[in-house]
Amino acid sequence: MLNEFLYNIAVMLDDMRLSTLLHESYYMYNWVESTHVLFLMVSLGMLFLIDLRMLGLALPDVPASRIASRLTWPMAIGFSVMFITGILLFYAVPVRSTQSVWFRVKMLLLVAAAINAWLFHKRMNESVADWDNDRKAPSHIRRGAILSLAFWAIIVMCGRFIAYDWFDCIRGQSPFVEFVAGCVDGQSRF
Amino acid sequence: MLTAFFSQNSRTVITVAVLLLVTWFGYSDLRTAAFVAIEPFFQWMETTWFGVIGKTWGPVFAFIQAIHLLGLAVLGGTVLAGDGRLLNIVLTDVPAKIVVDRCHRVFVWALIALLATGIFMACGVAMKIYYLPVYWYKMLALVAGMLFHFYVRKPLLNHDIDELNPVVVKMVAIASILVWFLVAATGRWIGFSG
Repeated sequence: MLNEFLYNIAVMLDDMRLSTLLHESYYMYNWVESTHVLFLMVSLGMLFLIDLRMLGLALPDVPASRIASRLTWPMAIGFSVMFITGILLFYAVPVRSTQSVWFRVKMLLLVAAAINAWLFHKRMNESVADWDNDRKAPSHIRRGAILSLAFWAIIVMCGRFIAYDWFDCIRGQSPFVEFVAGCVDGQSRF
Repeated sequence: MLTAFFSQNSRTVITVAVLLLVTWFGYSDLRTAAFVAIEPFFQWMETTWFGVIGKTWGPVFAFIQAIHLLGLAVLGGTVLAGDGRLLNIVLTDVPAKIVVDRCHRVFVWALIALLATGIFMACGVAMKIYYLPVYWYKMLALVAGMLFHFYVRKPLLNHDIDELNPVVVKMVAIASILVWFLVAATGRWIGFSG
């Protein structure tokens, strides 16, 4: 039911002229994808520095709150660009993306990473005055940082795996994989 | 007088000499001869374990690519934080020396991860990249980036940063961001080529 609904939405997007133009434009598509990947350096670069600071592996002698607050805005700019270019990349290839197992896992993990980031900042702001100058953050903050690193590492991997999708609906999969990937009986568009 | 000039400006003289040498090499017949001579090396790369695994196991290749991207993210973060501090854009309330030094340590680890995963990936598609001009641009940018970082930027910033000419410091920061951006961008373009 949900898979049919998502498939129909994807087909509707796929029918749009702009989607076809974006997909078939060699340079535009590549520019969008390159921008998406290059802004990884801005967004994840800053995020990883914050997480590594909490673990005592980067800039350990700089107050944790300062690292977190000063690097948050460049990180937010990076994420904004990645978000916009990510939507464009999905819009260019909507059916295949909707039916990619890796894309679906990536979306779930993005939600999990967002919740973790919210909890991380909430917990950090509540207690940072007690450990701001310590080389390592307390264990509950470190757990949040490790989770953040893990989530984003898997998100990047899923992003890469989308390009090598070996659970493609067009190849015919087991019923379980077909369900998880969202393959629809008799679908004409791949 | 000439000796004094060379001893005082040895780094600059060597840098200019290397640039002239590279330019001459790029336009000489020697470049073509070298290109032909290293083809067997690239053929051999594809026969190594890395090459065989990279070509045979798509998931492993994709996994290593993801590690490469994560390394790039960390490297980009350290470059942007360090050079952003030199440009007075980020972490302005932390001494520049501390930011630059601490970022450099993480930068080295990220660079090691990038080189290790990059070698694996190169083995998997050795003959493809051998014939790709953009791959050679990337290698040129990478060597330039590493030389710039370790041979120009690091020695310069080992001095008291507050006593250095602010214009020079900012130019170094901009050059550093640009050269690493070039490395990343040409790397991405390899994926679209061939």
